[in-house]
Amino acid sequence: MSGGLKHWFDPESAHTEGTTPDYRFSLANERTFLAWIRTGLALIAGGLACAQFLPPLPIARLREIIAIALLVLGGGVALRAVDHWARAERAMRLGVDLPRSRFPAILAIAVALGAVVLVGTVLYRMVT
Amino acid sequence: MTARDPGASPERTRLAWRRTGLSAAAVALLAARPAFHPGAGPAEWLIAAAAMGGWAALAALALHRAPGLRARPPHPAPRSIRAYALITAALAVIGGLVVML
Repeated sequence: MSGGLKHWFDPESAHTEGTTPDYRFSLANERTFLAWIRTGLALIAGGLACAQFLPPLPIARLREIIAIALLVLGGGVALRAVDHWARAERAMRLGVDLPRSRFPAILAIAVALGAVVLVGTVLYRMVT
Repeated sequence: MTARDPGASPERTRLAWRRTGLSAAAVALLAARPAFHPGAGPAEWLIAAAAMGGWAALAALALHRAPGLRARPPHPAPRSIRAYALITAALAVIGGLVVML
């Protein structure tokens, strides 16, 4: 999240630099943003579902910890989505490479680790 | 760009806004769920109202975006996009309140 902060407070600044790209590329960027928002919403829904539908887990408060972690992740994905959208829009206007990001890989690892924790918990419940 | 758009980009984008609104509806309903429990109090009602208000705002933003997409060429939507992300993050905060209660 660097270099794009001024776009947060001055939305029109993204539309004065460089040249206007083909509208289809802008719309594709908008759809990518919406896809990330859906990812964030899915994580938020997962967090709420954890809190409401999981039985209390063997470790105290683990259910609430998982729920809060998913909610934080979902909110973070939403905020990061708008930042990435602004940077991609700016790159297209200036004709430079699209921004690269490690975020999808980090998100995938975080979700996979969470799944491993849950599988471990389910197995633990089965044995005890 | 007045020629036929073979990729139907505006149409696909409009449908993407709609899909996202439907996902947000699921989140709002989950956040509002505790308000329907027998022991629900004002806190649960307030949270449900906030979640439904957030969802209504997201639906309104998608509706507001539609005419811009119908224009030729389609208008950019930096304000709608920022507002959408911020309201989504606010839904996450409302979800946090649901978990804490």
